[in-house]
Amino acid sequence: MSATRFTNQVDYGVGIGLRIPHYQHILERKPVVDWFEIISENYMVDAGRPLHVLDQILESYRVVQHGVSMYFGNAARPNRDHLKKLKALTRRTNTPWLSDHLCWGSVDGRYTHDLLPMPYTWEAVEFTARNIREVQDFVGVPVAVENVSSYAEFHASEMTEWEFLCEVVERADCGILLDVNNIYVSSQNHTFDPLDYVNAVSPERVAQIHIAGHTKYERFILDTHDHPVIDPVWKIYKRAIERCGRTATLLEWDDKIPSFQEVHREALKATRYLPEAESAKVEVAA
Amino acid sequence: MLKSKSQPSARKTEAIPALSKQQEEIDRSLRGIQQMMSQVLFRPLTSSEGMQPEWNDGRPTAEVVSEFIKPNDRLTSFERLEIYNQQYWWRLLGVFQEDFRGVRAVLGIRKFDKLAVEYLQAHGSTTWSVRDLGQHLVGFLEAHPELTAPRSDLAIEMARVEWAKVIAFDGPALPVLDPQSIAETPPDKLKLRLQPYMTLLELRYPIDHMLKRLKDRGSTSARASNAMSGSRQASLRLLKGNPSRSPIHLAVHRRQFSVYYKRLEPEAYRLLVALRGGASLADACASAFSDSNMPETQAAERIREWFQVWMQLGWLAQ
Repeated sequence: MSATRFTNQVDYGVGIGLRIPHYQHILERKPVVDWFEIISENYMVDAGRPLHVLDQILESYRVVQHGVSMYFGNAARPNRDHLKKLKALTRRTNTPWLSDHLCWGSVDGRYTHDLLPMPYTWEAVEFTARNIREVQDFVGVPVAVENVSSYAEFHASEMTEWEFLCEVVERADCGILLDVNNIYVSSQNHTFDPLDYVNAVSPERVAQIHIAGHTKYERFILDTHDHPVIDPVWKIYKRAIERCGRTATLLEWDDKIPSFQEVHREALKATRYLPEAESAKVEVAA
Repeated sequence: MLKSKSQPSARKTEAIPALSKQQEEIDRSLRGIQQMMSQVLFRPLTSSEGMQPEWNDGRPTAEVVSEFIKPNDRLTSFERLEIYNQQYWWRLLGVFQEDFRGVRAVLGIRKFDKLAVEYLQAHGSTTWSVRDLGQHLVGFLEAHPELTAPRSDLAIEMARVEWAKVIAFDGPALPVLDPQSIAETPPDKLKLRLQPYMTLLELRYPIDHMLKRLKDRGSTSARASNAMSGSRQASLRLLKGNPSRSPIHLAVHRRQFSVYYKRLEPEAYRLLVALRGGASLADACASAFSDSNMPETQAAERIREWFQVWMQLGWLAQ
């Protein structure tokens, strides 16, 4: 839903991920883009070029932070140094909400730098919700958790992934970043109907949607973010928009990155499915 | 505070408020699964880049992983976890390779890959940022010359410069020194600080020139995106270099948000090292020229020139 408490009451349209190969084009040409999503960790540094570029972007664009290593699903609690740096960055960017993944990635102080799948257990629900609440309270910005692509399932699981997601966000009272490409990838890898997933998610909690491409191998699909969005993923997106209404949408393209124009064009395909913003309707009516 | 086998260390225990007995059991269970899976991920790949078929205790790995990972109609439990095992190593090796392209070019692909696996096993990532992955490499290379022989000295110097580049890229900066404060403070009272992002190095090999030769190779990548990669690239032209007759003094720094190398005269290097060590300006100047044959008037002129340049480069801080 647009402009809810999970988006800090702001209504964003279609954005793209800010990536290094596009820096020059964006800073020199200043193309019209509704918003950029940044990978928080790339800018959680002390000084230097990353922050210099970010500050220039912030002069002209709206930015939303997306993290890749908070690991809400870790058995351990969130790292304090990480939280402090993240909070400092939110003050810089004024991000209306921030997101990270429904996954784990480190244990006993050792990091995998991967988005690892959760065992869908009640125990994991409790710990994940606790960690999300702690991050949300510390940073003071609404948090949206993103479903990940996965390639393995645990015997220990006691529920489906979407049941797990719903339980976690209810207990943490947070938003959802619904990645429809990840739903598709996991549905193929684990053989479920992706629309069952979309239909189960609480639409009022969906703060943002991710779209992306992937790579199909003979026996599984990898979430590579290096292709255009395929039709079955658009179909899931269409259904998500039917349920959630106008929702901030973001295209991720992280490898074999084409020109800025091509990435932006691909992202704007989402507007075929998005209802107009209330503000736009008012302008037309006037 | 409840005591439990699952609490990993006293240091961590201090930071975590007491949990109820029920929570603690839950924690142990979740942690147990995560410890098991991470053990699988951290085991190096085979020479054919697959998951090791034999577990630590001699059992088939397939048997071990099938205890906690479900198979599906296309992949066994082993094959499903192998995807993660491969992605872990390919991602970290990719970052490591990108940060130490010079070391790789000095050693060659096979030797570098072996070194990288040994290093990452000894010093797996302990922070949320892959930026810090190589922070222990120089010490590791010094402790394990057998991994880089016969080019150990060159590999160590290359690693020192490449780690200095990581620091120079995004390391912290202090406010630049106000020239007025130098003029107003007597030299024996004046203590100057150097920018923390700058590293001073004494080298035997012309690493700066060697790295310039490498500059047009390779490309950037989205290092923190967590997108999966399908395979790992491997192509390389070996980088060669001979030791210099006299030591090379190098500052690795940044200007206008780009990383640069600047060669220093030996006296200038000693002066900067003394300042970094906390010496007053007067003491630093004295130590810089203690072994120098340079006449005093010439030395004074050189110091003036150096400071002019260093101020322009923003090296001196409050």
